[in-house]
Amino acid sequence: MIFTGLKQTPEMVAAAAIQEDVDVVGISTLSAGHTRSLPKLARLLREAGAGDKLLLAGGVIPEEDRPLLEAAGVHRTFTMGSDTRDIVAYLNSWWARKLEAEA
Amino acid sequence: MSNTKVSTLGQPRDAAVTSSQGSLAEEVSRWQEHTRASYVEANPERRDAFLTQALKWPINALYTPVDLEAAGFDYLKDVGFPGEYPYTRGTQPNGHRSAFWTMTQVTGFGSGESWSKRARYMLDQGLSGLILEYDLATTNGYDSDDPMVEGEVGRAGMALDSLEDLEKAFDLPFDKLKYLMSVCNAPQPVNLAMIIAALEKKGVDPKDFVLHIVNGILIEYTCVGRYIYPPEHGLRLATDCIEYIINNHPNWAPISIIAAQLQPAKANPVQEIAFSLTIACAYIESTLARGFDIDTVAPYFHFVVNVDMDFFEGICKLRAFRKCWARLMRERYGATRPEAMKIRMMTSPTTTALTLQQPLNNIGRLAIMATACALGGAGENMTTPLHDEAHSLPAEEAIRVGAALQHIVAHETGVAETIDPLAGSYYVETLTKQIETAAFEEMEKIFAMGGALKAIETGYFQRALGREQYERNRDIEEGRRKWVGVNHLTLAEEKRQIDIFRLNDDMESEQVAKVQDLRARRDQAAVDAVLEEIRKAARNGDNMVPPCLKAVKLYATHGEICYAMRDVFGEYGSDSQLGGI
Amino acid sequence: MDVAKELLAGTVLAGARAIRWLDDNDPRGADVLASVFADTGRAHIVGVTGPPGAGKSTLVSALIAEERKRGRRVGVIAVDPSSPFTGGAILGDRVRMSRHTLDPDVFIRSVGSRGQVGGLARSTHDACLILDAMGYDVIFVETMGVGQDEIDIVALAHTTVIVGVPGLGDEVQAVKAGLMEAGEIFVINKADREGYEATQKQLELMLHLRAESRGYKDDDWSPPLLPAVALKDEGIAAIVDAIDQHGERLRASGDFERRTGQREREHTLTLLREEIMRSITGSAAPAVMAAVERRELDPHTAARSLLDQWRRKNMPGLNDTNDSEVL
Repeated sequence: MIFTGLKQTPEMVAAAAIQEDVDVVGISTLSAGHTRSLPKLARLLREAGAGDKLLLAGGVIPEEDRPLLEAAGVHRTFTMGSDTRDIVAYLNSWWARKLEAEA
Repeated sequence: MSNTKVSTLGQPRDAAVTSSQGSLAEEVSRWQEHTRASYVEANPERRDAFLTQALKWPINALYTPVDLEAAGFDYLKDVGFPGEYPYTRGTQPNGHRSAFWTMTQVTGFGSGESWSKRARYMLDQGLSGLILEYDLATTNGYDSDDPMVEGEVGRAGMALDSLEDLEKAFDLPFDKLKYLMSVCNAPQPVNLAMIIAALEKKGVDPKDFVLHIVNGILIEYTCVGRYIYPPEHGLRLATDCIEYIINNHPNWAPISIIAAQLQPAKANPVQEIAFSLTIACAYIESTLARGFDIDTVAPYFHFVVNVDMDFFEGICKLRAFRKCWARLMRERYGATRPEAMKIRMMTSPTTTALTLQQPLNNIGRLAIMATACALGGAGENMTTPLHDEAHSLPAEEAIRVGAALQHIVAHETGVAETIDPLAGSYYVETLTKQIETAAFEEMEKIFAMGGALKAIETGYFQRALGREQYERNRDIEEGRRKWVGVNHLTLAEEKRQIDIFRLNDDMESEQVAKVQDLRARRDQAAVDAVLEEIRKAARNGDNMVPPCLKAVKLYATHGEICYAMRDVFGEYGSDSQLGGI
Repeated sequence: MDVAKELLAGTVLAGARAIRWLDDNDPRGADVLASVFADTGRAHIVGVTGPPGAGKSTLVSALIAEERKRGRRVGVIAVDPSSPFTGGAILGDRVRMSRHTLDPDVFIRSVGSRGQVGGLARSTHDACLILDAMGYDVIFVETMGVGQDEIDIVALAHTTVIVGVPGLGDEVQAVKAGLMEAGEIFVINKADREGYEATQKQLELMLHLRAESRGYKDDDWSPPLLPAVALKDEGIAAIVDAIDQHGERLRASGDFERRTGQREREHTLTLLREEIMRSITGSAAPAVMAAVERRELDPHTAARSLLDQWRRKNMPGLNDTNDSEVL
């Protein structure tokens, strides 16, 4: 797991995700800037040929924004109060599906 | 329970005889064995252990004078009288019988104009003080057109690029607004300078108005993250502001230790008191080093303290907090003026108790926590978060409910009609004393490691908070702690019950255009020269407020001044958030 | 995507993928490496090491900035051996280098412990080769100077920079114990702090003793001791000057190629050890190991037995002269 630190722009997150060749990018956002930053990050990753990475977001994200974010390429949002066991289960099943698809 | 009563009443004579003959301690054990034990055997307790929520200290079934005696409780020494040392019963001699606490609310979003509009609405709802929050661009020292902050402008608070923004924001009835708290830590000298300049332009008499700057950079390194410069420089800039205000605006408030920011990071009450008081000591000592004495400095310190859902833990924390400050000022620094030993405090229900699920339930939680704040003494101010905070920035309806809530507690419950009404409760006094004792032990530990600055630099605070946070999450996920809507009484499908506040998406581009337009209009040569002065003052160790004041009046932008200081101080990057993992 | 071709052209995505394949033991990694190996051996590999809290990441960040000023492309491998969980780690070294994230000529890669001894050194070396092939002029390898693994990492550098800080006597001890021998450049970071003079004197003395004990000749490299305040970019140019001088010295004497060659040799041995271990500790191993743990079998007999089984399986023509199979 690679921690990029706070205060990252979408450009910085995309660059770090590509340099580290991670499988999953997780973003925590609390400032309400997510409707701009998350779609932009998804686009930057796609444009760089790294659209295969799983993009997850958490923090303060209203339910209504989820369709917009999902359409823009955010695979899943886990907001406040999400059970970490649900997140782990989601990641495990995503990983199993990915391995199956590659096999 | 009715069975117990009947059986006791059935032997009135025996009971009376025993209690007058045996000691109270013997009476308590008699009750335990004779009355309670058999009942509990027949009616097992609903949980294995009863613990306080955050501290996880065991809670007895019953507290009596025996517990107070065991804790070495001494009324005059431990509690005393309202308005007298050690201020456990409050710093006001008449509690809230002469006046209620000031009721405030946080606001801030969008541009200066939109802030002004929202602030007017809030003043019309009966609030007399406001808290101004800034967006992440501002609090992290960037202008709105900086590539670092795309998408963040005006989101988490007001966008502040130049004096022009504040001139618009301060289009307010200053006859109604008597108190403004400004929450801007890392770039505090720049922010202070902008507010002074804007008040000057509006013709507000600084003696007739209280500006309260939070100026709390050290907690940003501990858990919030809105820092720019390394901690030692952060502390120096904070001290510059304290020094400037003491010398120039002695009726203003130059610093707040927002213990309330430690609490959402899941600090328990002991950590909250110990961390925030040792952090206060770091500021106090750097201010004393500028030639002030403790009796002058201490009264300028102010704390913002949260109360969580454990009613008694919260109330006892507020009581212990006051006492710990008084003791610390007297015992560590030799303060002699009562003013130096009286803590100044704003209380608030915590946002972390609120849930995203079933948001209207939060109104109930807020009412309970606000009542606990009032019972714990409230402080000079109380501020209430809003029930929709987990969803988005507050909507107007939520602001109205939040303001009403404080009025309900103040006018309808009667909790403020007598002073410190829970004093003397065997449980409350025992817990208050336990918290005080543990907090002093923790403070000694922090002082022994070299004080708060060292504890921050080595990640001690961060690690401790990380552990608390992890434990709390586990408790909730594994069901040891019930949380309505989250792991108890959950709904299969939630229907939206509240309005969501949306910020106009054009706001950012408008703000960017404004700051770029300003840069084209102003005297650039003068700005360049004044930024060089900023760098020089930063290098020389001068107080940074006067050069910032000069710079903002020439319309140097907030970001430009912050970058000039970055040139000298460097920029702080930290992975201390990982500390607790 | 032709990963080998793309990474030679400098495509970050391809280089990052190759490093990952090598790290995961994916056979595609070895194929890529074979086809780009001819393009390696050019980069100047600089190890930066020191005790926890010395400010290594901040120093590397400042060094990157200086190297970039001098027009060089920079690779960084941030090694973090601390692993709170088995089989995983949380790596935070990038945080202090984030000002370089958007520079297309800086590639930062984190390497964490994967549980096995020696794993860090192997992963780091493979990553170095890929960055080298991608044409990065300088590669900084940042690691904490604590364990054996980290000393192996230091051994793969052309130039090793040892970082200390004032005021903590035991940190100097750590430097003395593990890394004093390896250093070619010594830096006292946070030199604006109290206790700088004392630390400076201590290290100077140690360097003097080291030179005496080795019987240095006049034209030998004499390790400089340099002050720095990495957070303020102070003293950084002098460190890069020293790195350059050391690099030139190595190239002039032929030691640059010699060190590179030794490194490949060590790497080959590491890979062999890993492969042989993997192959020997196959299906029979768990039962034998369990017997050793129960103390029913002594370690020597156990090892010999496993080795014999492996020989019989892999070298069928071999005569069994020594039947020591025990399970």
